[in-house]
Amino acid sequence: MTPSNADIVIDGRGLEPPEPLVRTLEALDQIGPAETLLVLLPHEPYPLYRALKLNGFSWQTTRRPDGTVEVLIQHQPQ
Amino acid sequence: MQALLSFEQAPPIAAPFRFFLTAPLFAILAGTLLLWSGPELLASRWTPSALALTHLITVGFMLQVMLGAMIQILPVVAGANMARPLLVSSLVHAAIVPGALLLTAGLLTSQPLVLRLAVLLLGIGIALFLGAAGHALVGVRSTNPTIQGLKLALIGLAVTAGLGMLLAVARDGSSGLPVLQLTAIHLGWGLVGWGGILLAAVALVVVPMFQITPPFPAWFAHGFSWSVLAVLSSWSIVVGAGWQRPSAVLAAAVVLTVAVFAALTLQVQRRSKRARFDASQYYWRLAMLCLLAACALWFAADSLPALAQRQEWPLLCGVLALLGGFMSVMVGMLYKIVPFLVWLHLQNLGDGRVAAPSMNKVIAARQIDRQLYAHVASLVLLLAAVIWPEWFTYPAGIALALANVWLLYNLLTAVAFYRYQRLKMVAPTLAIPPPQGTC
Repeated sequence: MTPSNADIVIDGRGLEPPEPLVRTLEALDQIGPAETLLVLLPHEPYPLYRALKLNGFSWQTTRRPDGTVEVLIQHQPQ
Repeated sequence: MQALLSFEQAPPIAAPFRFFLTAPLFAILAGTLLLWSGPELLASRWTPSALALTHLITVGFMLQVMLGAMIQILPVVAGANMARPLLVSSLVHAAIVPGALLLTAGLLTSQPLVLRLAVLLLGIGIALFLGAAGHALVGVRSTNPTIQGLKLALIGLAVTAGLGMLLAVARDGSSGLPVLQLTAIHLGWGLVGWGGILLAAVALVVVPMFQITPPFPAWFAHGFSWSVLAVLSSWSIVVGAGWQRPSAVLAAAVVLTVAVFAALTLQVQRRSKRARFDASQYYWRLAMLCLLAACALWFAADSLPALAQRQEWPLLCGVLALLGGFMSVMVGMLYKIVPFLVWLHLQNLGDGRVAAPSMNKVIAARQIDRQLYAHVASLVLLLAAVIWPEWFTYPAGIALALANVWLLYNLLTAVAFYRYQRLKMVAPTLAIPPPQGTC
């Protein structure tokens, strides 16, 4: 999976907690088995990782040079 | 919505809350001590009641908030999960609360047995916390400066507590230890090596996150905690060795790092994208201005012998740093951490079927604003009491106690809100009356 062609993108930079988490969890309900969700954040979201693991999602985290953390999420393969 | 937390990993809400709810009680005791001791308390920083007051704020209020916050922050910002967090919290809390009370009593009465009991309990509690937090952080890579800062702050806590215990045992004067030098090093490590490094590490995350600001400059984020630790260690060595001139230069460098942190935080905060400051932001601004004022006063006393000879300046520095700086920032953070935790745990209880109420409803904004005014009043009155003790000691004691009764009330409101909402989620068909003052 690659960030550039994610099906849903959430830019959580500039949003006050818990708004980025709320929007991400809502989007997780919408993505289909083959779709991807990209979340942009100013820091690494450890609580989100726990929620993803708990709910059967896999993710890849990369850091941009400007410090933005990109989390690319999809359903775990069955 | 998906489930949020795994309870095997996340600390239960009771783990940090027991510390947060106990902290204001120590500040209320500090206000009561001012009333009981009267103006004599402020005759010098060395009076038994001034030492007891200082430790009610540092070991009572500040340590409670810092340990509670670390238990919560470690998994959130570092992904470091403490094993059995509720058990660790219960044991640490059960040791440090009576430990802090005995330390206060021991400093007031100079009873060696009371001080030794305090040392034993505080030593057990802090060692247990250091072991649990250190174990959680082992193997966690320092991928960001906050994780690095949290690790280094634990070293600061260990040094502060170790020296403090030594000084408490040596208080009867029979040890022959260089008590004045050790006290200076204990104070430096407590305020800067433990408090300052932890505060800066947390600020790097929470200021941009909750105040919607740009990040701190990279040079500061990566360099602050290591620089502070290096300068503080060098200063401690030269103070211990009794080298006057290098110790004065290094002390100035330590104070300067604190001033840089406070000035940078104010600068970052000025670039907040929030349309209107909330009470938490005002608490941060007040704290940073007080830290800057404390640093300025330190430099003034360092260069003006007439000021350095006066008893008031170290007391003013102490009030500005402890009540104005650390307490302000901690109360400001509690007003973000506590509602966030309530929301997070309610969201998880809802299990995707029931959405948790908004974070803003947990404690009413006007209640927080009013408590902020009470805190500012207590700070101003205590500063005035240092200069005019006969006039202002009693009003300052009343104001400090009242501001913290108010803080406790606000925190208990959040607990009542959580319990009420949890009950509604567990038994939604029951008619449950809302708790007074919350809904």
